[in-house]
Amino acid sequence: MSFLNSYIYYIGAFGLILIGLYIILVKHNLIKVIVGLGILDTGVNLFLISVGYIAKGTAPIFSRPGTDSEHMVDPVPQALVLTAIVIGVAVLALALSLAIRLYQHYGTLNLRKIREQKW
Amino acid sequence: MVDRMPVLLIAVPLGLAFAIPLFALFWKPAAKYIPPVALGFNLVVSLLLLAKVLENPLIVSIGGWRPPFGINLVAGPVGVLFSAIIALVGLLVSVYALDYIHPVRYSHRIDTKLSNGVGLSNGVKEGATEKYHTLYLLLLTGATGVVLTGDIFNLFVFFEILCISSYALVAYLRNKAGIESAVKYLIQGAVGSSLLLIGIGLLYGLFGTLNMADIAQNIKSVSPISVFVPMVLIITGLGVEAAIFPLNAWLPDAHSSAPSSISAILSGIAIEVGLYAVARVIFTIFGAQSILPFLALLGILTLLVGEMCAFSQNNIKRMLAYSSIGQIGLILFALAIATSYGVTGGLFQMVSHTLSKALLFLTVGYMIYQTGSLQISALEGMGKKMPLTCLAFTIGAFSLVGLPPFIGFPSKLLVVRAALATKETYFCVLIGLALLGTVIEGAYFFRVVQVLYFRGENNPGREEAPVAVLIPMFIFVALIIVIGVYPKLVTDVLNSAASELLNRLDYIRSVLG
Repeated sequence: MSFLNSYIYYIGAFGLILIGLYIILVKHNLIKVIVGLGILDTGVNLFLISVGYIAKGTAPIFSRPGTDSEHMVDPVPQALVLTAIVIGVAVLALALSLAIRLYQHYGTLNLRKIREQKW
Repeated sequence: MVDRMPVLLIAVPLGLAFAIPLFALFWKPAAKYIPPVALGFNLVVSLLLLAKVLENPLIVSIGGWRPPFGINLVAGPVGVLFSAIIALVGLLVSVYALDYIHPVRYSHRIDTKLSNGVGLSNGVKEGATEKYHTLYLLLLTGATGVVLTGDIFNLFVFFEILCISSYALVAYLRNKAGIESAVKYLIQGAVGSSLLLIGIGLLYGLFGTLNMADIAQNIKSVSPISVFVPMVLIITGLGVEAAIFPLNAWLPDAHSSAPSSISAILSGIAIEVGLYAVARVIFTIFGAQSILPFLALLGILTLLVGEMCAFSQNNIKRMLAYSSIGQIGLILFALAIATSYGVTGGLFQMVSHTLSKALLFLTVGYMIYQTGSLQISALEGMGKKMPLTCLAFTIGAFSLVGLPPFIGFPSKLLVVRAALATKETYFCVLIGLALLGTVIEGAYFFRVVQVLYFRGENNPGREEAPVAVLIPMFIFVALIIVIGVYPKLVTDVLNSAASELLNRLDYIRSVLG
């Protein structure tokens, strides 16, 4: 049980990452692939957060009197995740707008049917 | 003041990029004049800094937080050399785009080509050229940021700026081919960036720091096997952008469907920046000597795959895109030799590929505009129709193949000498294969040159590209010939850049003090 307690977030994060990769690799529908990208992003973000997470930790504010630094969470991964979320939103927005254009040109979102560019 | 200047290399183009729509509200043409101004400024600043950083690298800590606590910029010889090249190529291509990215003139050409699905990579639909110029400047800002930063998460952020703006620019013509390639590029690029971010997260978990020098200092304190996983993730993530085989499936589509000015930047700068990041990670952060033979093998595989695919192409822009893959393979091989000769050769080859390939895409852009087709066979007789453009193309092609007196000759020679100087059978066999690749390269480039000059009717009318476009082309030609004849002009800078990449202890000492 203690193993689960200490690693549950990592297991969850890599579970999400693998689910996301699976969707991207296997699904034919572009919208599903984009959803997969979203899940992959979420998994990576969860992983980053759990690197700095401490159970029952507090915010790292040193100016407040009487706080012990032992139980402070690491603020750096949270800053990283904020940035990563913003980047993820930009990529997903661009991907969705490209999906609209793709549908206008081909009348389908099935990636197996869109194959004009090839080696 | 000089100590702070590297910040301006990023801040000025970034600020101006977002100011473009604002200026364009008041005066429409402002949009296209801002990128040359910003990049001209960057070029001047980089050249000023270059003389200074050859003696001592400049470390700028942002917000006054000393490394490893704050984000820092490292303006060493490598960073400033790359930022100078990015600014130079960016400036010339943006001058080219003054005429090329025209709101109205080429619109009829695109519409006729939309129907057959080939999608002519030429010109831009009516209106909204501000978006092009904003994204263009953002792409180059991202590239400059990647080469200057000393913080690995910051590197990721700048990389994403570069990637996202290039996804959008590939789709800029909004034709079938552009959108399809952009979707492919985006999916592969996004997966690559996620892998890179996981790798960075693992490194942070191991070392509790994101500063590259600090990570490099502590890398020996943990077991090699726990460093191996983040290293593989980071190299794979960066390898997608650097187009290392087998991660390069997006490249031929994206480079051939983008507008030609963007193809020049993607081929000339984006993949070089990706390779720089790979080299920085391997040499400086991980100091990983053991995977270098594997990377050399990957480089040669990339080279052979790229050149053989290029040989079988009928589409001129796809041929150039595959040839970029080939060149990337050669550069990766040269860097993986990891002697000071080899890394100098790799960096020299990067410079020569950047100049030659940018020139080739620029000339091809106008040839395609004239013929209205991407097929090589459609270029028959262009040598008489557009003599100056074809002369520039021929010089670029000869330089890429490695003929003297062009820049490709000294750079390839240096790579070959570096491989032979190792006296290891492994590298000697691989460089033999690389020379085989060069023969294939010569074959397909000479075929195009032959089509240009020795086919087609004898007396077509002359329809030369406009002067504003010929000027940047011939500046490239001048650089290619001058550096080709006097390689000493750049070898000093390249040597100190190579020693910055190879001496990780010096790097750590100069950053952490």
